[in-house]
Amino acid sequence: MGSYQHAQDNWFAAFIIVFIAAAVLINIWRARAGKQLYIRRIPGLDAIDEAIGRSTELGRPVTMIPGLTAFGVEAVQALTIFKYITKQIARFATPMRLLTANPTVYAVAQEAISDAYNEAGRPDLYDPDSIRFLSSEQFAFASGVAGLLQRERVAANFMFGIFFAESLIFAETGNIVGAVQIAGTVSFTQVPFFVAACDYTIIGDEFYATSAYISREPVLLGSMVGQDLAKLAFGSLVVGGAVLSTILGPNHPVIQLLGKPGGWEPFMQWLSQVLGRG
Amino acid sequence: MEQRTLWSRMMAIDRRILYLILAVNIVGALMARVVLEPNIPPAVRSFYETIEALQPGDIVMVSSTWSAGTLAENQPQFEAVLRHLMRKRLRFTIISFTPPARDISHRLARRLTREQGYVEGKDWAHFGYTPDIVLAVKGMSEDIAQAVRQDVRRVPIQQLEVMRGIKSLKDYKLVVDITPSDTLTAWISFRPRDLKIIYCPTSVMAAEAYTFLDSKQILGMITGAKGAYEYEHLLGIVGLGTRFINAIQFSHVLIITFILLGNFAMFMQRRSRS
Amino acid sequence: MFDTRENIWAAFWMIGAAILIFALIPLLQTLPPRGRYLLIAFVTFIAGLFFAAEFFLPVDEKTGKNFLTDPFQRLQGSLQVITALSLGLGTYGLIRLHLRNAVQRRAQWGYSIVLLVSFVTMAFFSVWNTLAEKGLLGVQRTPLLERAFTLLFDYTLVQLDATMFSLIAFYIFSAAYRAFRIRSVEASILMFTAMIVMIGIVPLGKFISDSIGLPIMMTDEMRTNPFALETILYSLRLPEVANWILNVLNAPVQRAIEFGVGIGALAMAIRLWLSLERGIT
Repeated sequence: MGSYQHAQDNWFAAFIIVFIAAAVLINIWRARAGKQLYIRRIPGLDAIDEAIGRSTELGRPVTMIPGLTAFGVEAVQALTIFKYITKQIARFATPMRLLTANPTVYAVAQEAISDAYNEAGRPDLYDPDSIRFLSSEQFAFASGVAGLLQRERVAANFMFGIFFAESLIFAETGNIVGAVQIAGTVSFTQVPFFVAACDYTIIGDEFYATSAYISREPVLLGSMVGQDLAKLAFGSLVVGGAVLSTILGPNHPVIQLLGKPGGWEPFMQWLSQVLGRG
Repeated sequence: MEQRTLWSRMMAIDRRILYLILAVNIVGALMARVVLEPNIPPAVRSFYETIEALQPGDIVMVSSTWSAGTLAENQPQFEAVLRHLMRKRLRFTIISFTPPARDISHRLARRLTREQGYVEGKDWAHFGYTPDIVLAVKGMSEDIAQAVRQDVRRVPIQQLEVMRGIKSLKDYKLVVDITPSDTLTAWISFRPRDLKIIYCPTSVMAAEAYTFLDSKQILGMITGAKGAYEYEHLLGIVGLGTRFINAIQFSHVLIITFILLGNFAMFMQRRSRS
Repeated sequence: MFDTRENIWAAFWMIGAAILIFALIPLLQTLPPRGRYLLIAFVTFIAGLFFAAEFFLPVDEKTGKNFLTDPFQRLQGSLQVITALSLGLGTYGLIRLHLRNAVQRRAQWGYSIVLLVSFVTMAFFSVWNTLAEKGLLGVQRTPLLERAFTLLFDYTLVQLDATMFSLIAFYIFSAAYRAFRIRSVEASILMFTAMIVMIGIVPLGKFISDSIGLPIMMTDEMRTNPFALETILYSLRLPEVANWILNVLNAPVQRAIEFGVGIGALAMAIRLWLSLERGIT
């Protein structure tokens, strides 16, 4: 049997998933019911409009790069941000390029960007050739992006998604051509490169806060509050687990329940013994 | 217009000059014969000891998903690991999750095994390339012959002598994951629970693995060519890691020197302005 | 190999899925926007429920599977078909763009010619090589194929790939030179930490620590007395400090970020599953 392939491997892990889901859904419901929710300032996202303005002034294109992101939640989030940016640039008819290494993301991006121009009331500006699948090979894609950034002297470069070693090639090339650069990634290892070469970097779960921040939709703001509650619960578990592990030892059933696949059964046996004794 | 001082010029030094200095430094360091003794980090020692603890005839899975791009980091690791496995007379099978990784690892493994008298099909095998790692690991955890079907030479798995007595990943003793990409989490999540994992990432990806080391989900790690050098030192061999280490450490020194110079220039410029 | 029964089932599933998709398209077109939204939300929910149910439903102790596990694995396999189809779509888009560039002599059309020639050449020899490798259509290996394949892949593609990765070293140098400036307390801490790790993890760190006379080994006596001067001096060795930074500072920070990312991804997945996310949908 694998590690965490099914809820049965440790029902406690499954319980945590249900808890997070409940925290998110309850807060979405509260937000929909009219509860006012606060979201802190994220400077990188405030700078999006500034970067678009610069592109418009210079009359040079805006590039959007979801990196090697495969189609999944990260890609949906990245495309949501790109859709927002496209709606903004549609107002000024600023040219854009969306460059991807994933063919499925490419297909969905075409729809999303077309929708963005429609929603902005400028369907005439939509050019299917501005969304490009360059290559699914990491460094072939990187060289394609670097070449385009250089040739078209882009004025603003937005990188959102999952990135690997190619991140610095994009960011440094963007820096060479003098583009305003905003990056957002959940790829922990690439954050230092983006921080060194970009103007703003959105780190970790701020990436998932982006759509809520941009749209201020109650559903998304509610979801953010639910996520924060879940993080609080995780933090409490970590602190509580560390204290209990110090007191009870790492092999105690309670500690096994908290951190190991298959921890549910010894915990239940221990619990029944304790209750039986009680 | 503000007059350009030496300090402001130093701060805005043309990046092509920096590139040239680094290139000269790397070439010089590659030619240098001086090799300093490494400090062996605990993760490298436990990597070595995990393989040392295996018995001759035990079988190991080498997950090799790297290609030319990260050759400088992953090839030293791959070569040192295979040498260690063969020295311990262990059986091993290789699997890749991209086509270029399959080609490069098969070619290298053929060369290395020939040197050590290992016979393909009898002592080792290459399972070729499988596109979906999750499906592959899940499938191999149940039945390798069903999940992989044939080796890279199109020999059915059941007919491989190296697979005698081996039905699934549950019969393996160890997985060595050599990769610059995110294959490790799939191995951790979907492998049979008792199967041990050791890890060979590139230097950039290593930062992500410390949490897995801490939780013992991986038992050891060699980081890039630097880690390969430390591992080669434990093995007592001179491999690519040993040849590359000077280029790595002198580049580190060069970068630090230039960071300090840049800061000194900034400090001096501020002072001259005030 | 798939047995006959499995083949029949696979064909049955594929035909069923095709009928369902082709039935849904006209249905979607005839429905009013609200109905269309509800139908899409319903299909999305059912599809997501399948994955969730496979995870949550109890499994057989022996096989580690429940009744949804096998179809789940098949479905995951079928996702590769979607990727392959979209790869065709992406390649078509790329070729169309560059053909147009070349035919209409748009700006920098020379690059498009290079791309098209490279694409056709690589594809031709790659397909030829694959056919020869698998012995399909009676295609044989020839000296021309061997030479062309070696030239194009080993001496061109592989080297270009390695070159692109190597560029990162140069970019790291220029980015570090530009970015690591002591402009604030935080920037100073970041810079000095980076320097210690950079030196501490390479043999030079050990060499420097040995040279300045710091204890070389942790003895049993030092282990039992963590506050002795010798123990403190040992823990100041550059490799020890670098390892401490990586294990004690880096790992927990990363774990905290991973928690946030994991929760964020789960929340987003729930919103998509329940059609609450309106970003690109």
